[in-house]
Amino acid sequence: MLCETPTLFFNQAGHKDVFSEMAQTALEPKNYSGLQARRQALDAYWQQGVGGNALLRKHSDFIDHHLAESFKKSAPAAEGFALVALGGYGRQELYPFSDIDLMILYDPAHKDELNSLVETILYPLWDTGLEVGHAVRTPDECMAFAAEDFFFRVAMLDARLLVGSATLFGKLTEMYKKAYIEGRRQEFLDDMLKQRTKRESQYGRHTYLLEPHIKEGCGGFRDIQSMVWTAHVVFGLKDLESLNEAGLLSQEELNRFEQAQDYLIRIRNRLHYVSGRKNDQLFFEHQKELAQAFGFTNKEELLGVEHFMREVYTHMQTISVTTDLFFEHVEEVLKGEESSKKGKVLEPDIEVKHGRIHLVNSEHLKEKPKLFMRLFYQSAKTGKPLHFRTRKAITAKLHHIDDKQRHSRRNAKLFLEILLSAKPFSVLEDMLDTGFLTSYIPELAKVESLAQHDVYHVFTVDRHLVQTINELEKLREEEVNIYTVISSPHILFLAGLLHDVGKGHGHGHAERGADLARQVGVRLNLKTDELDTLDFLVRNHLFLSHTALRRDLEDEEFLMRCATRIHSPGLLAMLYLLTIADARATGPTVWNDWKAALLLELYLKIVLLLDRKDISEQEQTRSAELGARWIREKVYELLPEPDDIDFDLYSDDYLLSFPPEVIAEHITQAKKLKKQEVLFSHKPNKESWSILVMTKDRPGLLTRIFGVLALHNLNVLAAKIFTWADGTVVDTIEVSSAISESYDGQDWTAMGNELHLAIQQRLGLEFRLSRKLAPLRNKPQGVQQRLAAKVKIDNRASELYSVIEVFSEDRIGILYDITKTLSDFGISIYRARISSKADQIVDVFYVLDHDGKKIEDPAFTNELQQGLLYAVKNV
Amino acid sequence: MKKIEAIIKPFKLDDVKEALNDMGIKGMTISEVKGYGRQKGHKEIYRGAEYIVDFIPKVKMEIIVDASQVDEVIETIIQAAKTGKIGDGKIFVLPVDEVVRVRTGEKGVEAI
Repeated sequence: MLCETPTLFFNQAGHKDVFSEMAQTALEPKNYSGLQARRQALDAYWQQGVGGNALLRKHSDFIDHHLAESFKKSAPAAEGFALVALGGYGRQELYPFSDIDLMILYDPAHKDELNSLVETILYPLWDTGLEVGHAVRTPDECMAFAAEDFFFRVAMLDARLLVGSATLFGKLTEMYKKAYIEGRRQEFLDDMLKQRTKRESQYGRHTYLLEPHIKEGCGGFRDIQSMVWTAHVVFGLKDLESLNEAGLLSQEELNRFEQAQDYLIRIRNRLHYVSGRKNDQLFFEHQKELAQAFGFTNKEELLGVEHFMREVYTHMQTISVTTDLFFEHVEEVLKGEESSKKGKVLEPDIEVKHGRIHLVNSEHLKEKPKLFMRLFYQSAKTGKPLHFRTRKAITAKLHHIDDKQRHSRRNAKLFLEILLSAKPFSVLEDMLDTGFLTSYIPELAKVESLAQHDVYHVFTVDRHLVQTINELEKLREEEVNIYTVISSPHILFLAGLLHDVGKGHGHGHAERGADLARQVGVRLNLKTDELDTLDFLVRNHLFLSHTALRRDLEDEEFLMRCATRIHSPGLLAMLYLLTIADARATGPTVWNDWKAALLLELYLKIVLLLDRKDISEQEQTRSAELGARWIREKVYELLPEPDDIDFDLYSDDYLLSFPPEVIAEHITQAKKLKKQEVLFSHKPNKESWSILVMTKDRPGLLTRIFGVLALHNLNVLAAKIFTWADGTVVDTIEVSSAISESYDGQDWTAMGNELHLAIQQRLGLEFRLSRKLAPLRNKPQGVQQRLAAKVKIDNRASELYSVIEVFSEDRIGILYDITKTLSDFGISIYRARISSKADQIVDVFYVLDHDGKKIEDPAFTNELQQGLLYAVKNV
Repeated sequence: MKKIEAIIKPFKLDDVKEALNDMGIKGMTISEVKGYGRQKGHKEIYRGAEYIVDFIPKVKMEIIVDASQVDEVIETIIQAAKTGKIGDGKIFVLPVDEVVRVRTGEKGVEAI
């Protein structure tokens, strides 16, 4: 801060104060005159809980003290020299690893003494490895340098005399004031704003970046200082208090601002210690440690670090918004716009003046709360921003937005029109910054300043949502062809704004978000089909990006399913644009050309299917029919007495699953079933066997087969389960030995016998298994963490059947347990796909209940789920 | 020692990674790449707009192994990455002179 009268901070009495204060602390190092001890002393204070401003001050005092000693030792002519602290050191704000900005001011008449003084002062500083910014100048040299260097001009604002000639220092400050402050208010402001813009382009316009820079970043210390400097130069106000007294900050704004400042100071202190160097960026790897230090612990729904970062962002946001408003105010004052004539009236209470939307009387917000939305609407319609005083008024009167406003049809209509205006992004950003958005849509309050602790999400959730609108705004121009397909674009923008509204409660944010979005949609008076579209978009907003990366884009059948699920080109276009906007608004690592190409490929494949869906469906069926017919012909050729065979017994599905030779073999074998109840054969493959079991269908058959396999230490790798129309079961099961991969002592004869017995219900499978298998349970090696078992029951995947998916850790006998449970519930298995990957199984069963119906009763579904979970966990 | 570079379809990455993990391969480098081979790029026309896909997105995996493991790794990648359709990818094997672990300075097979 510029000193009107040079502060002789370091008089003799000052020394004593510092000394006596220090003597009270137990961990006080005995000899702190050396700079080496400085760190220890500071650490000691830190350990004792001295933080925030107090620590900065102590640090600064240490250095002051040391420099005064050195100055005394050198004993130069008193009137010829002055030691001046600049910048942060001038403000007495020294963080643990801050630079020490020092200037030796001298009278050219005493130049001969200069060398020895410089040596005594600077050498010890250098020796201790402190970062010292130093300069040796006469007052005239200072002025010459100030003329060319903006940073020095600003640093001079905080100049503080440490020791030496007050006259010399006074001379410099007088010259400085005359040249750069008096009558230079506009120039100063212009410089300041230019620097601010430069910082914004370098460090980002946002306070909510993944790794915020708390000094230079938006909402950081530089913003605070710029405001204080400008207030000083333009209005002659020296601190935040006087800003409040002058009416530039309300008491409430001041309190919040000071709180935020204090919080950032504590963080910066800790950050320097944690990093062990001058580091002002809150790097990802430090965030957890700091969160812990500030006492944040992990909660079920929110990590401690996310909670901590949420506070950081909130405080930086406070600083950013306050300084933004301040600078707009200053600009206006200097332009003399305040006093100018009346503006153009847009509607009662709202006018436009100097390119900004004004609320004529802020008290009217209370009586006419519809003005809130009208203001934003006018801003969107005219493309002109709200005046800062109007924004402040909105924030101050938010409590007048009640349920009546939130349910108002008129507001809803205006809100949707804003979403469809030419530049909805800037209006929504204003809505968010003023707090209006979360007041109007309270569902969004839950994601306000919510950080996500991972390397992908650069923005907090609320920013990300508004940023998505920004991207949609751009995509509207970039992808005109696709955008024009969309019949209800307002729903797309609304989905963009709401797609992550379900975040902050753990998994399943898309589903939760869809429900919340629907709730908002109802208040906005959307029609049923619009609500369904909104719900669909939010619920599936991750579908395309997941699919593009994880599925085979040449799998026609899968693409058909996508097409069926999305069913209209308009909906697909919305989902596609939402996916791109979402990814781009997430962060730079999420979106690139590579992903864009994959997503485009998926989009085009689905859209082409949708556009000629009818033809394509026919083609699909026809090719399947053709395939099955071809196989029938082949099988016919292969069989010795083909005319006896009724080909209607075999479904297309079955025919398409095996080569013709194998089917011919099945048919030939089946004849033996007239004499024999069970047919069993095995064929060795590389490290596994294919087992074929044929018999007449009966309840619990699969359970018994799997039970016998488990008894013989066989793991099921895959299985194809088919039933012909005459009730003949054809089960092909791929198995491997649970003992070792190359085990060759398998007793197939014994197994065949036991299979017969088991199928005829003459084998005590349950007791044999429990006795024999206990020691042989196939425990996965080296897997410490147990995979969570999961059971999903889906009635939408297939038209005819309920599809049960079981995910679990693999172990021998698990299929026996699963199928037994199904059979206990009276459930019939029509088809099954068994696969095990590493130590995990993913088993899919196409089933119907004992009445031959899908499983739809919620209570029964739940019971079945629990039963299956118990079965797979039952070790 | 050899470097195995495999260009595969993106959706096969997890399968291949898992298969290699199972056979004890502990590290690999993955990058998102674009290119074309026999599965040339293509042009799609939708609503009058032309979408040219000249380079097709693929994943490149780089794995350094002892020469004795090369065949097994290749076999594993083929097993896991194969769909039987055009564009399944390619595998290149290159000689590697030396491997050094930066942290410890270990060299050779130990450092893989």
